[in-house]
Amino acid sequence: MTTIARVELDQVPLLARPYFADGDPGPIVRSLAQVPELLTVALPFIGAALGPSAISFRAKEIVIVRTSALAGCRFCVQTHAVVALEAGLTSDQVAALQSCGPTDEAFPDPRERALLRWIDVVAGGGPVSDDERATVLRSWSDHEVVELTAVVGTTLMLNRYATALALPTAPEAVERLAQEGLL
Amino acid sequence: MSTETVESLPAEAGPIARAVADGVMPSRVWMYANYHCNIQCTYCLTESGPKVAQRALSPETMLAVAEQARELGFTDLGVTGGETFLMPHMPDTLAALSANLPVVALTNGTLFSRRLLAKVEHLAECDVALQISLDRPDADVNDEMRAPDNFRKVTQAIPDLVERGITVRIATTVESIEDNELDRLCALHRDLGVPDSEHIIRPIVRRGRADTEDLGVEAVASDLPSELTITDDGAFWGPFGPTVKDGVLDTDLLVTRTTLPLETPARALLGLLEGRPEGADSTLNIR
Repeated sequence: MTTIARVELDQVPLLARPYFADGDPGPIVRSLAQVPELLTVALPFIGAALGPSAISFRAKEIVIVRTSALAGCRFCVQTHAVVALEAGLTSDQVAALQSCGPTDEAFPDPRERALLRWIDVVAGGGPVSDDERATVLRSWSDHEVVELTAVVGTTLMLNRYATALALPTAPEAVERLAQEGLL
Repeated sequence: MSTETVESLPAEAGPIARAVADGVMPSRVWMYANYHCNIQCTYCLTESGPKVAQRALSPETMLAVAEQARELGFTDLGVTGGETFLMPHMPDTLAALSANLPVVALTNGTLFSRRLLAKVEHLAECDVALQISLDRPDADVNDEMRAPDNFRKVTQAIPDLVERGITVRIATTVESIEDNELDRLCALHRDLGVPDSEHIIRPIVRRGRADTEDLGVEAVASDLPSELTITDDGAFWGPFGPTVKDGVLDTDLLVTRTTLPLETPARALLGLLEGRPEGADSTLNIR
């Protein structure tokens, strides 16, 4: 398969070195490191959007896995399915997110159901109706909807990036998903 | 070199000008005009040779770099390659660059035919110095590391250039040199019209082809000059940064892919320099 070069660990540009301090940071960072000035801006933003914040770890992983599934991003689905399990989602819930199909059965919590409807509308493209905004705002506060929507957008950016550049999933992630029956 | 101090800078001087004035940021901006060369030295950092891609900066880009370097507060320019005079525009480009800032241009000194000498003659009126490589006082030893007939061509070109009023510097790049050999080399460059003040001696740096050939000293970023260096592939930490090994560009000393506006790589480099611990400067005589 033709894929994009990822910087070798002995060729890490100066500005990118802090992101490699703990070893191999994975294919997104290793590819972005080819353009260090982009990496140093993108990583803090991605970290702020997808990392720990006022939104729970579990809710963010619901957003990331579902959005990635809708965008058809193998890398992001596989990588974050493992993270979602760590965030407390069950295998059935992860499978439902991955399926792109109905999720109500796996997600009985009304707030999470509202979130999932919002993700499907936002990540699905096209216009977003007043009704849909009103629905999500009944379960989530304004600032939470802002952040969750930004997480969908950031995930979509990474989905297209990882898919276009054919980034490889880490073997250990693939192994874990196989054990969970999620491949 | 700059004699400006932080105190003498105008109030509107930006962070780069201030960093240059207080010595945090080196004053020179280098440009890799091209990567191809008519010869193939055994210690070449960039694996330059006749068959490599040019990867040239256009004259327009070089001029933009020079103008923006001056505006930002840099005080000197350097042009290197590849063999810079393989680019037909080089005599005129050097003159145009020097209208912004003083220039030192590196050349192997082997292309100065009567025709090229006529084309560079006007550089005598410009703030341009040509830095020519001459490693040994004996033709056979010199040419072994560089190219056949290199010594003869260089020792002919240097007085031809000096006679025309062009400032010539000599760079000697060696793993080591005996006192006696160095004495004879210095006598030679004086005979050719180049004073001691215009002669630099530097070690071979183990990067590029020198690494392949198992030559030179190992050097990390802090050992190497941090002069902002602009290439067709991006901006680097010094002219020893954009090296090529086995045909692949090294990126370990890449600063940014963005080269213009020059402020982008200049600010990125300044950030790296300001984050450097005190006393982390080079202990090697690499320049």
